[in-house]
Amino acid sequence: MLNWFKRRRKEKASYETNEEWIEALKPPVDERAVKLLRQQLIRGLKPALHKYVDRELDQFVEDVAQDALLKVLDNIDSFRGESKLLTWAMKIAVREGLTELRLKRYDDISIEDLKPDDDSREVFSLTVAGNEISPDRSLHESDLVDKVMTIINEELTDKQKQAINALMIQGLPVPVVVKQMDTNRNALYKLVHDARLKIKNKLEIEGIDPDEMLNKL
Amino acid sequence: MELTPDILKSLIKSAQMAADHEIGCDECFDELHEFAELELAGKSPAEAKPLVKDHLDKCGSCREEYQALLEALRAIENGN
Ligand SMILES: [Zn+2]
Repeated sequence: MLNWFKRRRKEKASYETNEEWIEALKPPVDERAVKLLRQQLIRGLKPALHKYVDRELDQFVEDVAQDALLKVLDNIDSFRGESKLLTWAMKIAVREGLTELRLKRYDDISIEDLKPDDDSREVFSLTVAGNEISPDRSLHESDLVDKVMTIINEELTDKQKQAINALMIQGLPVPVVVKQMDTNRNALYKLVHDARLKIKNKLEIEGIDPDEMLNKL
Repeated sequence: MELTPDILKSLIKSAQMAADHEIGCDECFDELHEFAELELAGKSPAEAKPLVKDHLDKCGSCREEYQALLEALRAIENGN
């Protein structure tokens, strides 16, 4: 009886502030708030994910919203109010959806079909764009290749070599490499970051200017 | 492993851009909601959170999630 009373009292028509949302999403959970949040997540997810989903977008988005809601409820204590609650919840939902899509994408597709993404600043999922070999390869070029190979072989750990090879040389997408190496995205990023730093520092020690090197290639 | 000039270039560039301190995907995710709100409010998230900006520039997966998040938030704002 008391529980029922408490539950009834928690129901509100709208949730304006973070405090109201947090109160409503903490146990005992206010189902009305959950329903409202679900609607909002679905409204945001549809336009955000439609280009990745070729069929049954509605069903997919509803499933993602549901999984995200469970995470939101489980982690509500970790929300510190640095943004609107909806922004935080949407962030969780978007990652949920894209993670799901990536798993599907790379389960169905063979490695040869994967499309590289070319962005010059990108260093993580670095892919090899247009593999053309210039006709007048300079004499120095093979020396440079040798130098970099030596650095890779001598300075990097086996795991770092494996990651660099998969991501940068074979140009495999991050989710595929994560699976191959039985790791997670964050750990892979850090592994590659350490490797990049080692190469950078070694070039510096050897007095090799990366810009000069790039000009020669 | 075989290095073509193109791969070598990418490799050198990515090493060249390595900063002593870079955050990983998890730390980026931890701050992404704040970063997104700054951007939507027309403030400069890159100045407020340079490490997040740097990570988004360097990590395609996090950038993809961030762009989708902005799209979702804009749709809600516009009452789509
Ligand atoms: Zn990342």
